Amino acid sequence: MIRRYRVIGCAALVLLVAACSAPGSSSDSTAGGSPASGSTAPVKIAVVDAQSGSSSDLGQFEYRGVKLAVDQANAAGGVDGRKISLSLFDDQGDPTVGTELARKIASEGYIAMLGTAESAVTLAMAPILESEHIPNITSGQSTKLLAVGSPYLFLNGPTGLTYDSTLAKYVVTTKGYKKIAMLTNNDSYGAGEESAFSTSLKSLGLTPVATKVVPAGQTNMTPELTAIRGANPQVLFIGAEEAQSGLIVKQARALGMNVVIAEGAPAGTPLFLSTAGVADTNGTIVSSPYLGNGVSSAAQAFAAAYTSAYGTAPELHGAKAYDGAEVMIAALKACHACTGLALANAIRAVHYTGLLGTFQFNNQGVGIFATAIGILNDGKITPVSN
Amino acid sequence: MQSFFQTLTSGLSFGAVYALVALGFSLVYRTMGLVNFAHGAVLTIGAYVASTFYLSARLPFAVAVPAAMAVTGAIGLVIERVLRPLENKDFDLMLIGTIGAGTVLEAAAILIWTSAGRGVPSPVSAAPLIVGGVRIGAYNLAVVGIAAVAVGGLTVFLQRTKRGAAMQAVAMDHEAATAVGIHVGRSNALAFAIGAGLAALAGSLASPLLYVSPTMGDSLGIQGFAAAILGGFGSIPGAIVGGLGIGVIGSFAAQWFQGYSDLVTFVVFTVLVMIRPTGIFGEQTVNRA
Amino acid sequence: MSIVTPFRARLLGLAALAVLAWLLPYRLNIYWISVTDTALLFALLAVGMGLVMGTAGQVNLAQIAFFGVGAYATGILTTHEGLGFWTAALAALGFAIAAGLVVGLPALRVQSHYLGIVTLGLAVAFLDWVTNAPVTGGDSGLGGIPVPPLFGIDLSSQYLYYYLEVVVLAAGLAFGYFVVRTPLGRRMRAMRDDSLAAGAAGTEIGVLRMIAFLLAGVYGGMAGVLYAGQIHYIAPESFSIADMFLLLAMVIIGGRRSLAGCVLGAVGLIIAQQELVNLAADAQLGYGLVVVAVVVFTPTGLAGISARLHRRRARGFAGPGGLEPFQPSALDGAPVPAASGTLLEVSGLVMRFRGLTALDGVSIEVRTGEILGVVGPNGSGKTTLFNVISGLYRPSGGSVRFCGREISAMRPYRVSQLGIARTFQHLRLFRNLTVLDNVLVWMDRTRSGWSWRYVCWPWGVWRYDRALQDRAWALVRGFGLASFVSALPGELPYGTQRRLEIARAMASSPSLLLLDEPAAGLNADEQRQLAEIVRAIRDSGVTVVLIEHNMGLVMSLCERVVVLDSGMVIASGAPGEVARDPTVLEAYLGRTPLSGLPAPQREPTEAS
Repeated sequence: MIRRYRVIGCAALVLLVAACSAPGSSSDSTAGGSPASGSTAPVKIAVVDAQSGSSSDLGQFEYRGVKLAVDQANAAGGVDGRKISLSLFDDQGDPTVGTELARKIASEGYIAMLGTAESAVTLAMAPILESEHIPNITSGQSTKLLAVGSPYLFLNGPTGLTYDSTLAKYVVTTKGYKKIAMLTNNDSYGAGEESAFSTSLKSLGLTPVATKVVPAGQTNMTPELTAIRGANPQVLFIGAEEAQSGLIVKQARALGMNVVIAEGAPAGTPLFLSTAGVADTNGTIVSSPYLGNGVSSAAQAFAAAYTSAYGTAPELHGAKAYDGAEVMIAALKACHACTGLALANAIRAVHYTGLLGTFQFNNQGVGIFATAIGILNDGKITPVSN
Repeated sequence: MQSFFQTLTSGLSFGAVYALVALGFSLVYRTMGLVNFAHGAVLTIGAYVASTFYLSARLPFAVAVPAAMAVTGAIGLVIERVLRPLENKDFDLMLIGTIGAGTVLEAAAILIWTSAGRGVPSPVSAAPLIVGGVRIGAYNLAVVGIAAVAVGGLTVFLQRTKRGAAMQAVAMDHEAATAVGIHVGRSNALAFAIGAGLAALAGSLASPLLYVSPTMGDSLGIQGFAAAILGGFGSIPGAIVGGLGIGVIGSFAAQWFQGYSDLVTFVVFTVLVMIRPTGIFGEQTVNRA
Repeated sequence: MSIVTPFRARLLGLAALAVLAWLLPYRLNIYWISVTDTALLFALLAVGMGLVMGTAGQVNLAQIAFFGVGAYATGILTTHEGLGFWTAALAALGFAIAAGLVVGLPALRVQSHYLGIVTLGLAVAFLDWVTNAPVTGGDSGLGGIPVPPLFGIDLSSQYLYYYLEVVVLAAGLAFGYFVVRTPLGRRMRAMRDDSLAAGAAGTEIGVLRMIAFLLAGVYGGMAGVLYAGQIHYIAPESFSIADMFLLLAMVIIGGRRSLAGCVLGAVGLIIAQQELVNLAADAQLGYGLVVVAVVVFTPTGLAGISARLHRRRARGFAGPGGLEPFQPSALDGAPVPAASGTLLEVSGLVMRFRGLTALDGVSIEVRTGEILGVVGPNGSGKTTLFNVISGLYRPSGGSVRFCGREISAMRPYRVSQLGIARTFQHLRLFRNLTVLDNVLVWMDRTRSGWSWRYVCWPWGVWRYDRALQDRAWALVRGFGLASFVSALPGELPYGTQRRLEIARAMASSPSLLLLDEPAAGLNADEQRQLAEIVRAIRDSGVTVVLIEHNMGLVMSLCERVVVLDSGMVIASGAPGEVARDPTVLEAYLGRTPLSGLPAPQREPTEAS
């Protein structure tokens, strides 16, 4: 009996002595540089997006866009003969889960990350990805991303300010509307939109006739719309995700409001149309770098490939993700599957003409600086000529 | 002024939905002394089933809704059966059991229908009624009407039928009820099923006004619960008054406090519960001596 | 003969655990260590939840909000106000405590499911504020929270942060166990099992509930502070209602009555969640089903299963003799009897319940040192009388004076503190507390303010508890219950339970003991023992008032008898006289021809 305890005590002592150095010194973190041994090992890229929770449909579109690009690249031989292997991680729209995932992908040897679609999660992951030297091309558009200052962070589309300043210019300067109301939600996207659009209006010398904020999960916006109706606006700017925007339009029409709807990216999507009902959305002004699957031959080709692969037509988020993936692949090819800072620099050096435009990254990681304006009619967006 | 009345009327039509939710809560509480935290999730399932019947199976709305109520009622029977060993023994545990059941139902909804939501077009295409600049949607009127019919039906059931009287007897004294030959377990099961059916009705009716998603039951459930407590838990008129009240209060709160409307509602609610826990119409006590 | 006593074995076990905890990070990669760090935080949260829900029996669905308050306060104070991390942490703890008290206020008015919805609503309100207020960064959250400085150790490393968390968790667990096993925790458990009886035992229920929520706030706040210092980024999604239900599942599955169970539940579910990170809906379905299964089949969780197996193995609680004879020496150390005269005076007491008058002008005088019997037909108001005297009901009229002091408006705990103890007609033993613990709760005469010592002078708490245990042991032995010390009331024979009820009432060293039908259900031998005990109690200086239906016992034991009928005193005096009083006979037998029969000639009375 006593001997048993002595043995345990000795074993513990031995282990204790053996472990006198701090833990974690032998963790497998890739500090960047040349690729691992074996020039046939697949190139591991992680896709991190919300696959559950309220933004899960966005995550799905994104993943499909990325996968299409990667499948096409792999079919054409991959990167220097190495296949690109994609793994999907669900961040559940939660920044904390995102930080855990950042460490997970670092520990499992992923050399790059595509995603997420939520700026809040991207912001949370950025410091960890920077310290783990993993470049990230995100679909977020918040201007807060510009303040991160990490050489590893890139955006696959324009910032919210770009969307909204272009929109504001069209609505105020080109169309001459003076009475504009704003209805935004309070999540990070909506809050960003509220700030960007009101800044843009102010720079054009205009203040909105009514501004209302709704909780992100709310599905009944009638009270707020009733108040807005009282201010008699000509245009209603909406800053909310696809479904909520569609509900706002539907409920506004039910209140008899004939306002012109003006919105950024979400207005160009099928979910917006199906929730609002196509008839109610006629005349909506959309500001988006990807106005539809028919705007260019590249878009048509992309749409055809996407539809044959997944059975449904693509939209903005899929297109953005596709472009981001293409940029990543181009960079990998240019530097022969390098990793870390070298890969980040390669991404910055990429000049790629994609569905959203020509990517030319600046020091803050933004690559696209313009959006286009289109008008919704019968469910189709017609670009306006500036 | 027009804005005031518009806010009021839209609050009232949602209030009818909350009243239905509150009724379901109240019925289960009145007969079993149990607060059913799974009520919101049951509502969500009901809304999804009804919208599936309506959109995918192309059944008429008036058929899809009762069908959904039947399906959801069956789910209510299952939940009651599973939690039956706890009845009349430990209320805290049963409360947690219903929380667990609610979690399971919400997860099931996500697994079956994915977490993307769906919009439901209004089944009534008549033009809205316009009174003095105030628009009252035709469907909104239909919702209020259907809710009124449901309330009437429930009242008749509880007061005029043998089963209903049996349920009230169980509520007052379940041991005495057993002595008189009433099968308490089956009576509770029926109560649970009807409560679930009411939740499904509320969810189905609300779907064209709102948006069907796995979390729709959360906010509707909480609002309905607050309505039941404010009106007086266990009281039918209380559920109605509470529901309409919460609908109208919520409508005005959303206008004035915007993003903070939830916070305001709950702080006010907490204070009211502390001042008068039995609500406006007083609690129809469930005798658990 | 082993030198390894149970105490030393436990110490060695803890030491081994400590060694394993020290070595764990060496085996984990950067991902798994950060998961472990999160698991430790949830373990801390779960312990707080276990204290408030499992120990004190308060439904608390706002625990996640305490977590959020701690995290956000730390984040805001460091990023916006530029405070140092530990200064901000201290302030954050203060905010979390305040939040705990605010959430605890409704617990003074409502319980169980109402409390559940109110606390849930407050959690939603907190989330709402956090999502909208500019100072919290809204939905985008708050980043750039600094790394806590600690004597030059680089706490930005998840590995080193682990050690900080382990130390905090160990301290939290130790404090938690300290609370649970000493007077404060015992009172909380008593309150959970039967708040009415706990009040009669001298527990100030309202204050205790607030203390429970305060503790929950402390643990939640600490976890939040550590969270901010670990992740450096906080957003509302981490404190959602879904997370609250996950936390609830951890506590239920692990076992809310066991702190170790809470820790295991937390660690287990976090690991499961990570393993199933790409199957979030399936994981949710899974843990929901497990919660329902646990609630229906094993409500005390996994820890409860192990505890039950433990008890089954240690079956020999019933010692050699079973119930032993009562020893009058058990009552040594009772208080000095009060001066002779009137101890309790009830004057014109009226008690009305919504149209039913239970007591209609009752006046009774209880003299010091007597055994007074209160008899009457069913429904005459006897137990109501006791309930009013002991403070459970507030009379509609009249007064109750104890040692000259008006006590009719006092709450039960105050009445108990003044020296009045009572038993209950339908035994109200604390069913999840051992026999010894039942006695200890009543023996504990400290006021609520004494609880400050837990923070300022824990050593004094420990010493007091030790002394209390010694006295309790002596009392238990004296009452013949020594073989049942670690038994639960439900495992005892009925007669033993009755004796325990009296023993624990005597543990509170009362000057007046109210016994409500102590002989109900006892056989002749047990009744004889009961009479012996009651006489010994009176001989030690305690005045006894006794409600009884058993006339033989009343006649032999009581010096005076008061007869109640329909809420009024219809007779009072020596037992023999009262038994012959025609009004009394009519009250018991009614106006039947029988009432015309002559009264019995001689009543054989034992000399008291």
